[in-house]
Amino acid sequence: MKMDLAIETENLVRIYGKGDSGIKALDGISIKIPKASTYGLFGPNGSGKTTLISILVGLLLPTSGSAKVLGFDVVKDSVEIRRRVGLLPEGFGFYDNMTALENLVFLATLDKIPLDQRNRRALEALETVGLKDRANDKVSTFSRGMKQRLGIAQALLKDPELLIFDEPTVGIDPEGAAEFRNLVKRMNREGKTILMSTHLLYEVGMVCTHAAVIRGGRLLVQGGVEELYQSVREAKGYRYELRVKPSGEMLLQEIKSISGVIEIRQSENGVTVLSKKEIWGELLTLVSKPQFKDAVESLKPIEPSWDEIYRFYQEGG
Amino acid sequence: MISDALSIARKEFTDTITSKRLWLIVGVLLLFSVASTYSTIFQTITAFQQAGRPVASVFSAIATTMAYMAPLLGIALAFDAVSGERERGTLRILLSRPIYREDVINGKIISALTVISLATTISSLAAVSISILLHNVAVTIDDIARICLFIVFSIVLSFAYYAFSLFISTLSNKSSHSLIISIGIWIFFAFILSVISSLIVTAVLGPPPMRSFQAFNMFRRQPGNFTPSSMFPQEYLDYMRKEAEISSMIQAFSINYHYTQITSLLFGYATRPIEFGQGGRTLVSIPTVISTRLIDIVILIVFPIIFLFASYMVFTRRQEK
Repeated sequence: MKMDLAIETENLVRIYGKGDSGIKALDGISIKIPKASTYGLFGPNGSGKTTLISILVGLLLPTSGSAKVLGFDVVKDSVEIRRRVGLLPEGFGFYDNMTALENLVFLATLDKIPLDQRNRRALEALETVGLKDRANDKVSTFSRGMKQRLGIAQALLKDPELLIFDEPTVGIDPEGAAEFRNLVKRMNREGKTILMSTHLLYEVGMVCTHAAVIRGGRLLVQGGVEELYQSVREAKGYRYELRVKPSGEMLLQEIKSISGVIEIRQSENGVTVLSKKEIWGELLTLVSKPQFKDAVESLKPIEPSWDEIYRFYQEGG
Repeated sequence: MISDALSIARKEFTDTITSKRLWLIVGVLLLFSVASTYSTIFQTITAFQQAGRPVASVFSAIATTMAYMAPLLGIALAFDAVSGERERGTLRILLSRPIYREDVINGKIISALTVISLATTISSLAAVSISILLHNVAVTIDDIARICLFIVFSIVLSFAYYAFSLFISTLSNKSSHSLIISIGIWIFFAFILSVISSLIVTAVLGPPPMRSFQAFNMFRRQPGNFTPSSMFPQEYLDYMRKEAEISSMIQAFSINYHYTQITSLLFGYATRPIEFGQGGRTLVSIPTVISTRLIDIVILIVFPIIFLFASYMVFTRRQEK
């Protein structure tokens, strides 16, 4: 079955400069972002995330390759794309001499929002990001975190079907970042597609349904978050954490005999079981046996961390 | 789309007229215009009235002020027009809207042209009003036509510097760089080029003949003295003619020079010692001004067009990450 895609790129290349001194910022990126997904674009600084986003909204032209956003070609139909996409660019700013509301109403004009709706839509966007009380304050009085939230508000103005956030939590405090993640989850539940670039690994795991890892302008991996976990699990082994009472020595012997178990080692939180294959079902059956029931304090699978996922794919997957 | 450009122009216009920077420049322009008018009226107008051209005398003083201030107005409006948006990150927000890049630059140009026109017209009208109020200067239809032309040429001069500074601003990522380059060019055209011209004249022709120079200085000390140039020794007149030729060739590179050439003929004031010697200029008809100064007018108009086009090309082709 063909997937309904919000964004699709094919072998995108972008080179800055000309000739031998040209720098390849994107080197054949092909990504597929399903509609209604929250897609995390992860990579270190300078990996090409902002270049990719700039191409997707028509601010930069690709050197070669093609890309479609909501079915529109990024080269030919960039205005149509920007009509439908809410973008929070990296390093953006507002007119400090204007109030938050004036800034948004001005941007709403350029977004072609009808005159009679501009004020209402601006206030709604401010309310969504928790800035309605500061609507009539000049932006020059805003903290960095408030400006970041105002940036999110301007992206929401036209109620877009696709939102693109470039490093959205840079400069905001942990509380603000948590609020932002909740907002992203809420918007995703409302059916919006969200593409979010970040260099913070934990952010991807917290909010994304899909993710891609890029480095040096190359796509290392992409897919559903669960698929990415699975690939690492399959390659590095499945891990389970078990807390047993001193009477649980027999249980550990039984676990060791399960087919696929490679190793059982002591860890800070108890015992870690490493297996070549998924043994969650076997473990549950074992610990529910009457002779081991009282020996187990806790049992849980350990998901690979995003740091592990990143290192895994960086090393070639 | 024109509606997007107008939306940007409206916002730019509001920003500009509420900015301290604009009011500082307009204030200085007004102050100098009023001061020039006032001092002209009480110092030299009698002589000009005798020559039958009181408004021309007032505007000859204002034209000198305008030649210095109009470029500053243009630079003040343009130096951070694009680079400032880039620095503040507002350009990224603007360009993320469903608009074309040309709408951004068109909006800025429309706004700047409106502000320049208003500031120039208000300053000129203030000078006329003061002339009428303080000295009951009679303003004729011909005077009004000359003032209108003066306003148009002053707008073009200011706009020429606007276009140049805008071009630098589109190329630059820092407004401070754009400001330094723009002011540098203004200083070069308004002051340094005339100094270079004098140095070259001295190098080529040597110092002026001393006897004739003393005679000229004695002549200058008598205000309103329109003694015919035949009073001067031929040696001195030849020197001054050659000086004027060389100087004109060098200063032709300056847009300010072309503006001064037009306005000096428009209001019949002298720009060179040789012309004092010729009794100042006679006030020639407007068609004569236009036909005589056609090349200066064309250069004054073409200069901003070239830089606007260049700004347009650079900005619309530049890709912002």
